[in-house]
Amino acid sequence: MTKKVVVTGLGSISPLGIDVSGFWQSLLSGRSGISRLRGFSELHLKIPFAAQVPDFNPEHYFSSSEIPLLDRHSQFALIAAREAINDSGLSPEALQAGAAVIGTGCGGKETDERSYQILYKENKSRLHPLTIPRGMPSAAASLVSIGCGLRGPVFSVSSACASANHAIIQAVLLIRSGLVDVAVAGGTDAPFTFGLLKAWEALRIWSRDTCRPFSADRSGLVLGEGAGVVVLESEAHARSRSADIHAELSGCGMSSDAGHITDPSAEGAAKAISMALKDAGLDPEDVDYVNAHGTATEANDVTETRAIRLALGKRADTVAVSSTKSMHGHALGAAGAFELIATILAIKNGIVPATMNFSTPGVGCDLDYVPNQPRVMKVETALSNSFAFGGLNAVIAVRAY
Amino acid sequence: MDQKIYLTVIKAISAQKKIDSSSISANSTLEALGISSLDAITIMYEIEDALDIEIPNEALENLNSVQDILDGISQLVQSNA
Repeated sequence: MTKKVVVTGLGSISPLGIDVSGFWQSLLSGRSGISRLRGFSELHLKIPFAAQVPDFNPEHYFSSSEIPLLDRHSQFALIAAREAINDSGLSPEALQAGAAVIGTGCGGKETDERSYQILYKENKSRLHPLTIPRGMPSAAASLVSIGCGLRGPVFSVSSACASANHAIIQAVLLIRSGLVDVAVAGGTDAPFTFGLLKAWEALRIWSRDTCRPFSADRSGLVLGEGAGVVVLESEAHARSRSADIHAELSGCGMSSDAGHITDPSAEGAAKAISMALKDAGLDPEDVDYVNAHGTATEANDVTETRAIRLALGKRADTVAVSSTKSMHGHALGAAGAFELIATILAIKNGIVPATMNFSTPGVGCDLDYVPNQPRVMKVETALSNSFAFGGLNAVIAVRAY
Repeated sequence: MDQKIYLTVIKAISAQKKIDSSSISANSTLEALGISSLDAITIMYEIEDALDIEIPNEALENLNSVQDILDGISQLVQSNA
């Protein structure tokens, strides 16, 4: 019998708000965090819309001696980790042996790009000594460890848009193996830098209006930013301290398409969904809700629909599927963490957030996408999908506790 | 020039350690000021920028006090002049 892993803490900073409460309230009211891209000159960028954390001022969260060490993506990770740990009620002593596994698709782009600007554009010859520690891809994991006193296994995980799900799954496996009883896991990304936006621009998959997953009039994804973090514990550890348990993280599925670098495969994604169910000891009939990857690109939405049909069979005709990216955008390495939190809160509150901005189903999109109105329904079992560029798939199964 | 060097060094230390410049004197040891090796290279970076000089890595060896930094920087500035 494998150890049960439960979720005892939630934390997020997102385009929908600076904490989990703001995030969930926005999801319920269908309020979007998407607006015109701020902070860049329109002359230089074609990407018109973005989901950015509103009115974010690091000085509200960090001292002037901390800020020089913290790239924007590390700031987000620390804020979300602190909220999740606070929510869990874990003591500093209990955290000492804990793990921290933080996913990031982009790492310290703000720091890296600033350094390139100084060298290439301003023609200066020296960089700030903190450029490496601030920008390294494992910076957020280290700073969460330092900031929260986690002295167990700590590392970052990078698998593009599946980074958070892969990170959370690694943390589940650490707990199941008995290496740790407590883990802080999630994802973070801060992709709003000029160079990275230009690179996304070149992919030509960004939306011209807003994010409309599975809808016939969808025109692509809207980039987002922020961090989501959960606290995971072995069931025995959580119960021994009478913790408030949000949900059971019951199944993990991972697969790789080993196919095309950007074109997703329905078979690869379906395999990850089936593995998550099998790992949790669940049948397709058990699934009440799927929080979809749902990026609103042409390729994802049709492929994901097919994947859900392949994995869930007849159950796909009736299962509720929604993409909360319609509100929080695609936060890349943080996306899976936002969506896991949304999934857990859907289970806890008995309300499934809607797929907003939905007009009519797109060609090849024939599931129940919970369009435009959140749905009050009992959710016992749910899945949260993440399918990344490079064909890397990670799916998490969650059960009511 | 000496005054400029003195003020630049004190300013860089006080900015890095978030301490009042009045609490730093030439006799202060780096240990007493709590200056780690990362602090030291950040302080050198600020001094290089302010005085437009290049501090070689060897110059960072055997620095014990603020006076050591002042002496080293003065030498560098003189040899550049």
